[in-house]
Amino acid sequence: MYIIKNALKCIGRSKGRNILIGIIALVIAVSACIGLSIRQAAESAKSSTLEGMSVTASISFDRQAMMREMRQSSDSSASGGTQDGAFDREQFKDLMNGGTALTLDEYQTYAEAESVEDFYYTLTAYFDGSDNLEAVSSEADTETETESSSGTPGGGMNFGRGKGDRMGNMSTGDFTVIGYSGDNAMTAFQSGTTSISDGAVFSEGTEERLCLISEELAAYNELTVGDKITLTNPDSEAETYELTVSGIYKNNEANDLSVSMFGVGQDPANRIYLSAAALQGILDASASVSEKVTDETTGRETETAVGSSLSATYVFADADAYHRFEDEVRTLGLDDSYTVSSADLTAFENSLTPLNTLSKTAGWFLLVILLIGAVILVVLNIFNIRERKYEIGVLTAMGMKKGKVALQFLTEILVVTMAAILIGAGVGAVSAVPVTNALLANQVESQQSSLQQMENSFGRGGNFKGGMQTAAPNAPNDLPDDLPNGGGRGGVTRLGQNVSNYITEVNSAMNFTVLLQLLGIGLLLTIAAGAVSVLFVMRYDPLKILANRD
Amino acid sequence: MEILTLQDICFSYGKVPVLKDVNYRFETGKMYCIIGRSGAGKTTLLSLLSGLAAPNSGSILYDGKDIAKQDKYAFRSKYIGVIFQNFNLITKFTALENVMLSMDIAGVKGKGKRQKAMELLSGVGLDEDEANRRVLKLSGGQQQRVAIARALSYDPQIILADEPTGNLDGETQKEIMNIFRKLTEQEKCVILVSHSPEVAAVCDEKYELQKLSGKNNSKEKAIS
Repeated sequence: MYIIKNALKCIGRSKGRNILIGIIALVIAVSACIGLSIRQAAESAKSSTLEGMSVTASISFDRQAMMREMRQSSDSSASGGTQDGAFDREQFKDLMNGGTALTLDEYQTYAEAESVEDFYYTLTAYFDGSDNLEAVSSEADTETETESSSGTPGGGMNFGRGKGDRMGNMSTGDFTVIGYSGDNAMTAFQSGTTSISDGAVFSEGTEERLCLISEELAAYNELTVGDKITLTNPDSEAETYELTVSGIYKNNEANDLSVSMFGVGQDPANRIYLSAAALQGILDASASVSEKVTDETTGRETETAVGSSLSATYVFADADAYHRFEDEVRTLGLDDSYTVSSADLTAFENSLTPLNTLSKTAGWFLLVILLIGAVILVVLNIFNIRERKYEIGVLTAMGMKKGKVALQFLTEILVVTMAAILIGAGVGAVSAVPVTNALLANQVESQQSSLQQMENSFGRGGNFKGGMQTAAPNAPNDLPDDLPNGGGRGGVTRLGQNVSNYITEVNSAMNFTVLLQLLGIGLLLTIAAGAVSVLFVMRYDPLKILANRD
Repeated sequence: MEILTLQDICFSYGKVPVLKDVNYRFETGKMYCIIGRSGAGKTTLLSLLSGLAAPNSGSILYDGKDIAKQDKYAFRSKYIGVIFQNFNLITKFTALENVMLSMDIAGVKGKGKRQKAMELLSGVGLDEDEANRRVLKLSGGQQQRVAIARALSYDPQIILADEPTGNLDGETQKEIMNIFRKLTEQEKCVILVSHSPEVAAVCDEKYELQKLSGKNNSKEKAIS
């Protein structure tokens, strides 16, 4: 007890020296506090957002992996042959047509994985209009049919025909008809970006041919709820399907009209929604009357049945469940040539990039500050202990054990350092948020200007690797605008079609963890500086000190 | 009662012998003086007696027990009170704090420490104002008194003083010697190390150390 009393007395009696040590410890504490706060903000922004975010994922065919595999197998088989590892295009086409798309049954099998919280899918098919239904278009002739032989979209969109079990050419029509497996699949309606302005959404899972049309389409064709519309198979004009308008919807977000240049069917106004069961009924009916036709120019044989694409989405409670799902589907039999990906998780990770970069820089900064601070404190303490050599001699001559003398010196350093750390924590708590936000703003700005520079150099937008990996176009909408820990998003960079929603500010950075870490740093510094005291005290001989004094 | 005994003590600094076959006995209730010229080994003997140094050979017995086999820190802090020639006080502390610190180191318990320290300081002639002054602001004589009070603070049996009157005027010397005399009346053993014949004259017994020279080293002992 008297050791502590003595230590406090000594601190009070050597104010100048202790204020100097305190100032250095304070500078270290404030710097460390800001550094730790930045790291903590990055960590909590990540964990708390992930906590509150349900993750969606899809399974898609990994075409690149298949091509790599083909190249490897051709390399090994070409050891004695003449092909010498050349890429076999025909084999590739055969493989792609031979069933890369997963069937609904397969998707549903994987949906049974424990980690899956919810599962839904959408069916997409293209139809042409009829006399009572004309697509919204600025073009003079909407009847011009666009034949597309391209299209293997990623993100789980597996194009096929009939039951979607093989790849094939699919005619695009004037209307994109989307069938939803349930209410949960209608994400645009759930998020409020699309809402019903008249009538109501068809019942979940109904086989009745009830549909929703856009306000623009309704106005363009003078349609109201209860009217009937007729869709035509783009490949067979005689094949028509009648639907009843159960509701009219409006898009609450501005439409990007540039997409309509890819075909009127791409125009959001020409989307018709109905239940997946109803659409499947139409597709089955179409398949039953399908005929084989041979293309005159290419000589390829195709069927007239309406083609469809299936897009399945798995919903998980959190990111951990998503990662578990990746393993679970493999045990359920998913082939390695398919990948599981989550667009919203990728988008979220991209949004954290400036904060993560700042966090990494802060980590190095912290390390340098700590090293320099520790060296300064140790040197100061060496001077201190040498100056107090006589005092050590007197105390030990009086019978105070060296261990106790060392403990008194340690206590002195600990008290001064901890006081500085606590003041530093206070100063840090006040300044951490503005400093973090200012640094973060710089970071975001530098990344955006780097992107801008690249965009200028290229003369167009794009997804540049050197700057920022930009997020999937639709993904940022799925992320919460306000982070649970009180942060915010902003700094939207529009670059071609790619948009990144960076986290540009944090509202709270200092917390109990940071305080504990600061105290830990204080202890470490005390131990570093104190170890010198202990060494000196232990090797001093009181008799020599006092004799030299004499 | 014999409290401290030196048996065949030899000590040398490297190859230079300082003490050889020293055999002294100290009893309680008596005042001893160890005299000798400069370089005779007086301070070395004081270091040995206070447990700050250990002899090359021979034993120092405190109450019949070899102090080499005891905890030296405990011996220094509890059983012997040393008044150094240059006082060796903690200069940043007040007189009172110096006295109380030595009580703390000795492990003196209880609430009356402050009062006892004040009594001790008052006993050696320091008033309350002087007691609460930092020792650097006290005169040499006052510091000497603080050092005496500090040595007495934990009630040791032996009081050891190195040149206790060296820096003091005649009047103060007299007062200090009176304090030591009073201590012998309290059955303390007072050992003074001095080169002053006046100090030796008022002591009950004196031991004289003579400087060892070359190979003809011999112990010197004189009892008056």
